[in-house]
Amino acid sequence: MSDFATRWIATFVGAVIGLTLGLLYTWIIAPVELVNTYPALLRTDYRQSWVRLAALSYVVDYDLERTRSRLDGLKQDDVSGAIQALIEESAAAGWPADTLRSLTTLAEALDVQTPAMLVYLYTSTPLPSAPINTPSSMPTRPATRTSMPRASPSLTVDTPEPTRTPRDASPLITPTPEPTSTPPSPTPTPPLLARLGLVRQEQLCEPGQMLQVQILVTDERGAGIPGVEVWLMWSGGADRAVTGLKPGKGAGYVDFEAEPSASYVLGVGELGTPLVTDLQVEPCPYEGDEEPLMGSWRVVLGPRPLATRESDDNG
Amino acid sequence: MSERAGLLPRWGTRVIVGVVVGLALGFAIGWWLWPVQYTNTEPGVLRQDYRDDYIIMVATAYEAEGSLELARERLSLLDPEEPSVPVVELAERLVEAGGAAEDIERLTRLAWALGALTPTLVPDMEGRP
Repeated sequence: MSDFATRWIATFVGAVIGLTLGLLYTWIIAPVELVNTYPALLRTDYRQSWVRLAALSYVVDYDLERTRSRLDGLKQDDVSGAIQALIEESAAAGWPADTLRSLTTLAEALDVQTPAMLVYLYTSTPLPSAPINTPSSMPTRPATRTSMPRASPSLTVDTPEPTRTPRDASPLITPTPEPTSTPPSPTPTPPLLARLGLVRQEQLCEPGQMLQVQILVTDERGAGIPGVEVWLMWSGGADRAVTGLKPGKGAGYVDFEAEPSASYVLGVGELGTPLVTDLQVEPCPYEGDEEPLMGSWRVVLGPRPLATRESDDNG
Repeated sequence: MSERAGLLPRWGTRVIVGVVVGLALGFAIGWWLWPVQYTNTEPGVLRQDYRDDYIIMVATAYEAEGSLELARERLSLLDPEEPSVPVVELAERLVEAGGAAEDIERLTRLAWALGALTPTLVPDMEGRP
């Protein structure tokens, strides 16, 4: 081997040894000190805990800027996930509505969206009402984040502008030379809640199931409506819940635990207007020698057809 | 053979040069180019300002949730032995530095609930003038 090659090999071997020693020292013996880290580097559960703490602090101090700065640098997914979970847990735990409203206000400000929010963002109205014949104003199912309505008309008190039917402008109506000061008033649209009725009722028979009364409130198109107050009343008691708090089961879904011996009345709205009466847990259809299974109920509520309106339209 | 070659073979010099170059590269890589990346860290190693914020948030969340157990659990990530110590230290530091009164009061209430109220913080229990 030539002298030249030997020298270069020696240099290379030395460099490898030096590099190895250097990395050993900097990566293992004296690595960069684990101090002065920041929230984004926290372990996932601690990051979520951080977001949760920031949101809870907002509930107390209402300082949005401070909350934003606390969440600054964290991924939106972390923020969304933790706040969604907090809202849903809090709703399920029966936290005061004001607290939940604060949380949902924060969520909205941070562009975090969860169906459970709708209930608390827009419950300033006594009853959710949905205008009929205006499909675009029906509540949109919050299947995607981008489609979440910021101010769903179905959940506001804004009365939609009455639309004139073609009959109003019909040339068959004799025009009068002087316009009347009071144009013919359109038929007032009853709120959706006032039109809710029983669509169907089915017994659920699955071994090991918890006895429940499950309610699904739907609109004309069969889409679930969040934010509807549902009452389950029985002799000596009543329970109330709001649709949409279990987003996984649908925006219009709500359920109650049921007792085999009780007879229930199902109502909706602030006054619990009864829609289904004498609802009782009953045995499922008998099969062989097995002990009969008690069945839960699934009740679908939806708007009843407007007979008067239809007859008007036809006439 | 030259005098220099007698002290250290020529290839030995080269090895030493190589080691020095390699070490320099190693330090540059290990501390600057690709330092150890820490993820999955715990609140205990947060920078001081984040750590302070964490403690304040725990105290504020305690006000919202009312769960001393949760507060203690969260604080034990900073000091497993004495979870109340970070609260008291921060509260006293804020008192000295003239920090936000609301923060001091929340910290003081939590310190009191944890049984760690100090004389410095007593006035804050009743509202510092």
